[in-house]
This record gives sequence, C-alpha cells and structure tokens, in this order.
Amino acid sequence: MNKLRFIAAVLVFGSLWGFSEVLIGTSISDLGLPSGAIMTGFFALTFLVMSRMTFRQPGMQAGMGLVAGSLRMFNPFMGCHLCSAIAIAAEAIIFEIVWYKISFKSDYIKRPFMQASLGVVTGFSIYVGGYIVTQILTPIAAGATFYVENLIVFMPRILGSGLLPSVIAGILLPIIVISKKLDISIKDRLYYPLTLGITILCWVLVLGNFFLA
Amino acid sequence: MGKEKIIPTLALLIICISVISSIYVYATTIEKETITINNNEYSIDEIFLLSQEITITTVEGEKTGVSLENLITKSGISCPSCNEYTIKAADGYQKTMSWDDFKTGVITNFKRVFFPDAPKAFWVRDIVEIEVKNI
Repeated sequence: MNKLRFIAAVLVFGSLWGFSEVLIGTSISDLGLPSGAIMTGFFALTFLVMSRMTFRQPGMQAGMGLVAGSLRMFNPFMGCHLCSAIAIAAEAIIFEIVWYKISFKSDYIKRPFMQASLGVVTGFSIYVGGYIVTQILTPIAAGATFYVENLIVFMPRILGSGLLPSVIAGILLPIIVISKKLDISIKDRLYYPLTLGITILCWVLVLGNFFLA
Repeated sequence: MGKEKIIPTLALLIICISVISSIYVYATTIEKETITINNNEYSIDEIFLLSQEITITTVEGEKTGVSLENLITKSGISCPSCNEYTIKAADGYQKTMSWDDFKTGVITNFKRVFFPDAPKAFWVRDIVEIEVKNI
C-alpha cells in the first residue's frame, strides 16, 4: 500500500475518532449518560473496525489511537486530557492485540453470530483494558504514585462497567460488516483533498472550541 | 480448539463476568450520609462547620469547598505530613495521595474532592471515607 495514502488514512480516521471523543463524548457525558462505554462501544469500535476492514493493515489502528489521543490531549477546552488520551491510545493498542490473527477472509467470521461474539470480546477488551491502563498510568504520568490496592478494590466496578460497551459492540460489529458491503469508494483525485480536509476540519473544530466558548 | 469455538466461549465468559461484577458492585455499594475521617464520622454539614471554605482554580474552573489541609488539621491529626491519605468512594473507587498533593484540595458539599494540579482521576466523588495511613 502507498505509504502516503496509509498515513492520510491514519490521520483522517484518528482525527474523526478524537473529534468524536472530544465533542460528542462531552455532550453524551453532559446528558448524564455513560459516555466512556458509549464512546468505546460505538465510536471507537466503528472507526477501528472500519479502518481494519478497509485497509487490512495491522498497526494502522495503533497510529489512529495516537492521533486521537493527541487530539484529546491538546484539546484546551476540556479538563482532564491525560486520562482520556491514555485510554484512547491503550484502546487502539489492545485492539491491535485482539485482532492480530483476525481475518475477514476466513469463513467462520462471515457468520453474524461469530461477528457478534467478536464484537463482545473486542468491546470488552478495549474498554476494560483501556480503563485499567488509565488507572495505572495516569497517576504515574502525573508524577504521583500508583497504588496497586486502589486498582484491586476497584476491579469489580471496572469489570462490571465492561458490560455495556461489550453489548453495544456485539450488536454493532455485524452491522459494520453489512455496511461495508455497500463498497463506498473515493475517486483517487479526491482522496488526498478529502482526507486532508476532514483531518484539518476535525482539528480546527476541536481547537476552535476553546476560543468560541 | 479453533477460533470458531474460542471467540463465542470468550464472549459468553465476558458477559458472565461483567454481569456478576455488576451484581457484586450493586450489592457492596456503601450507602451512608456521613464521611469517615481517621475513624471518626462527620456529616457534610459538620465538615463545613469545622473548617473554612476556600476557592481553588482547577482545569475546569474555580471550585469552592472546605480546604482538605484545614479539615485534616481540625480533625485532630497531629502530624499530617507523616501520613498518606486514601479517599474512598461509595462504589469502591479510591485514590491514595501524599500530604503535599492532598493538602491542596477541597471537598465540596456534594461530597466530591477537587485538586488544582492532580488529574481528574483523583477527583473522587461520593466520598464515604478519608483513610489516614501512617507512612
């Protein structure tokens, strides 16, 4: 695959993910809904799976996580950038690990039941994994001490909170697979202007939010 | 065992674990009006009577509440800097802090702590206890 095309795809998918985390995630949170579970189960999973199915490039999703995490980190509007940025990057890396041996060319994965099961496993793994990594790395990154007993006593809550994203992801993954069959493609001459335009728009909207507020 | 068996089995196991964990959390959530500080019970009104309110600036703007430094001093702890402080929430969430970090915070009348410099992960809400641990 063309390297420049690959980098453009990482930037656009990562920026869309970061943009949705910052603006949509905040709105969901303001409504009193479990934003983390919804964002991971719906938005993160959609961008991660869509990009994997389209480009079939392991490593791409880790790059997207870094882009999305950076957008979350540099967003001056919201309060805590650190925990969310760490969680996003961790979710992308965990996705890479879970999907390391997954190929949509295999027959077994074409069955909706298998896709739903894979959705449950992926949604739970990335959400719970991201949550745990955040609990460990946030105090360390902030210059404080990480206490393992704080994590252990909170583990039932973390595991319990994985139910919603896993159910959302279990329903969503077969839908993403069906939608992929629509085979929407972009003409070559529009590819770079479109990906660059969307990337810039996401960053401008997030960063501009600070000045508009 | 192939992937066609491993993935559904894992999915089922995950659903079971998260449902059982949710039930456990629901059953063990502490419901009480008071906050335990160094083994003494205080209502939020008593906390606000015990110490003066201050305003700190956080990444989410100004927050007003009782100074944790004052609160610990007024609650009779003789050497605050000799201890670490674990802030515990009703749902089991807890964060441990050094005195230097802890003393910069405030507790609001919604039983939530805020700190000017610590990440939001330390802004524990629905507090049920502040445990004082000698170091």
